[in-house]
Amino acid sequence: MKYILMMNATKANWDAYAKWSKQDLQRNVAFMRAFSKELKDSGVFVATEGLGWPNEAKIVRAGKDGEPITDGVFAESKEFLAGYWIIDVESTEQAYKIAARASAAPGLGGTPGSMPIEVRQVLSSFADLGL
Amino acid sequence: MKYILLMTGTKAGVDTYRAWTKKDIDTHMASLRSLAKDLRESGEFVADQGLTGPEEAKVVRGEKKGMPITDGIFPESKEFLLGYWIVDVATPERAYAIAAQLSTSPGPGGVPTNMPIEVRQFASHPLK
Repeated sequence: MKYILMMNATKANWDAYAKWSKQDLQRNVAFMRAFSKELKDSGVFVATEGLGWPNEAKIVRAGKDGEPITDGVFAESKEFLAGYWIIDVESTEQAYKIAARASAAPGLGGTPGSMPIEVRQVLSSFADLGL
Repeated sequence: MKYILLMTGTKAGVDTYRAWTKKDIDTHMASLRSLAKDLRESGEFVADQGLTGPEEAKVVRGEKKGMPITDGIFPESKEFLLGYWIVDVATPERAYAIAAQLSTSPGPGGVPTNMPIEVRQFASHPLK
């Protein structure tokens, strides 16, 4: 079963992250690299991506003629996807355990960040979306 | 340049989609499949993925010993990721044009949904 583990953060969270010391950032990055390697080594890794900053995010809708209308104004409470991992595991519980590992990524001063990780099962195809 | 096009919705929004007729859903899905085919042919397609419904979503944190603490309670306003497309395009404008095409996919009675698509560029992020 495939699951996606998502890191979501508000703009305020992103701004706070940007102010971390170089040492704190390096520790966090080292953890993320080791975490992805661990997923690869254990054979559950499918994909991972990190996303660009929220100030570059746009909402796009189609105008009457089908032309894109872009908007970059978001509510302060808006959660922006910061990055994700997709894993292929035997059980939901295994997905939660791996998410808990990601949640413990070191934050300020090297203490576990305890960041929330949203865990969702992914579908094999859009036909399964059930919409 | 790689972009991710995110389709999101609240629980209420998802419930509305689920109340569509089978014909409307089939037309909608055919439109999405057709767009994915076009993107494959133009060489811009990287990946797409649909997610299961919001009712199965959990937020996980690690407690002190690293054991997972799961929580499935979200505010009503919470936007859940429903699915995404990853495209590799020459310009941000091209990413916006593809997002607009997604936004025109037909809804009930074949009328375009006009759904909002969030467009984000990938970072040269250290996750890998």
